[in-house]
Amino acid sequence: MRSRDGLWFYFFISPWLFGFLALTLGPILFSIYMSFTDWDLFQAPNFIGIGNYEKIFTHDPLFWKSVGNTVYYAFISIPLGMLLSLWIAYYLNKKLKGITFFRVLYYLPSVVPVVASSLLFVRLLAPNTGLINRGLALIGIDGPNWLLDPDWVKPALIVMSLWGVGGGVVLLLAGMKGIPGELLEAAAIDGASPRKAFLFVTLPMITPIIFFNLVTGLIGALQTFAQVYIVTSGGPDNASQMIVPYLFENAFKFYRMGYASAIAWVLFLMILLLTLLVFRSSALWVYYEEGRKHG
Amino acid sequence: MARISLPDRLLSYAVLCLVGTLMFAPFLYMISIALSSDATTVKAAFTLIPKEFALDNFVRVFTDYRMGTYLKNSVIITVFTVFGSVLSASFVAYGFARIRAKGSGFLFIVLLSTMMLPGEVTMVPQFIIFRELGWINTLLPLIVPSFFAGAFNVFLIRQFVMGIPRSLDEAAMIDGMGHLGIYAKIILPLTYPILAAIGIFSFAWNWGNFMGPLIYINDPDKTPLALGVQLISTVSGGQMPPWNMVMVASMFLTIPMILVYTFGQKYVYEANLNSGSAGLK
Repeated sequence: MRSRDGLWFYFFISPWLFGFLALTLGPILFSIYMSFTDWDLFQAPNFIGIGNYEKIFTHDPLFWKSVGNTVYYAFISIPLGMLLSLWIAYYLNKKLKGITFFRVLYYLPSVVPVVASSLLFVRLLAPNTGLINRGLALIGIDGPNWLLDPDWVKPALIVMSLWGVGGGVVLLLAGMKGIPGELLEAAAIDGASPRKAFLFVTLPMITPIIFFNLVTGLIGALQTFAQVYIVTSGGPDNASQMIVPYLFENAFKFYRMGYASAIAWVLFLMILLLTLLVFRSSALWVYYEEGRKHG
Repeated sequence: MARISLPDRLLSYAVLCLVGTLMFAPFLYMISIALSSDATTVKAAFTLIPKEFALDNFVRVFTDYRMGTYLKNSVIITVFTVFGSVLSASFVAYGFARIRAKGSGFLFIVLLSTMMLPGEVTMVPQFIIFRELGWINTLLPLIVPSFFAGAFNVFLIRQFVMGIPRSLDEAAMIDGMGHLGIYAKIILPLTYPILAAIGIFSFAWNWGNFMGPLIYINDPDKTPLALGVQLISTVSGGQMPPWNMVMVASMFLTIPMILVYTFGQKYVYEANLNSGSAGLK
């Protein structure tokens, strides 16, 4: 009897279906069309074939600089963040008194809205008066000019990303909780130290979550926007310009709607390719126990 | 797990306290700057531990700046979007979870594949659509899309609904209840944990959303707090921002987020478990 009520199905999914057609499928088609025009929002669009894509691939060094910066940022901040989150999770998973307090403390930075954390880090990273360089001075290190130095501005953004590492830690901890106690007991009986048990039992068991953190982290890092827009405006000397802020500038500062659309599609392909690559690699290092129920 | 030896315990506490201090210091710095007087702010002579307590900063951000307006707009946006995203996603999820129809399998795959599309692709065309509708400098582009059921939310609720025994629906149907009744009276009450999680995610996303208002709002009367904080930081042009005010505003932006996550952590945790590990299998 349920199988006949097709109308009810479409009635229930109508909010999504309408949104999909009006705000996803329509815009996708429109965006593809725009990417082949020189539309500037004010004059009628001219069809220019693959002109925008040609420009992206042959004579827009700034685009490739922003790709390079984005990749630099992603490829350093994500592995560092994953190592740090594993290291922290190792300690936060111990059965110690007051561990809940530490768990909350480590998680808090990840819920701070990016506007607030960005402005806070402008202050923290200030060359002479900022907290970070004053802290470094205490241990005898002459801190760099961070945001004013083309060599240090990307590391500065990476430091900032590490503050929010607790979001991934929570997922790792959830995964560790799901590991059957027998496994760790067996390891302990066989004489494995807590560190060894972590490396050879816990770590393989949580690779699905590490994988999840990697995929979401990668997609997020490639789309970095607010940090760059607020903290550095892409400077100094475009040393921190990234793909999405560059796209945003083209679209909403210079109104190059056609060119911005073409950039968006190139970005989409880059995200797709890198994500597929990570998925492909997962067969080598992600461990799924047959039939194990997560959570 | 085996009992933890004393040296191991001491080392663990040492590590946790050290890293914890680094994690907490930025918060303390934020509070300390927010409590600094204008004189200290001009010299950027901030300290980690608060030395001044200029509590009137928390009043001045309303009188000298437009905190009241920013807060009002953020509350309006957030209330509507949380309501809209939870209601629409649960409605759509019921359809996908409980009713078979021609094309339902295909449409579900379409729904899943839209999750792969980065927002940047639709950003420019959406701007043009909302501009054509005359919605620039209104809150509508920031609110209305949430009533069209986000794909990820639909997916989460659908998974949850699939776990509810169908015999409940069938019993209700025998009692003469239709789909609307089953959705409202049986499924909706049972899915509240996942709805709560989605409400929290939606709150977090919309309360902190920066790019949306940056694209659509160029009117102080319509500016939400996330954009407002940035506006306060740029009031003095290229000069030094009024850091104490910026940090007061940042606290107004941050504290609701912390409260919502603190009170809702149970739901977030469960939803994370479902989406984080099982969702990818």
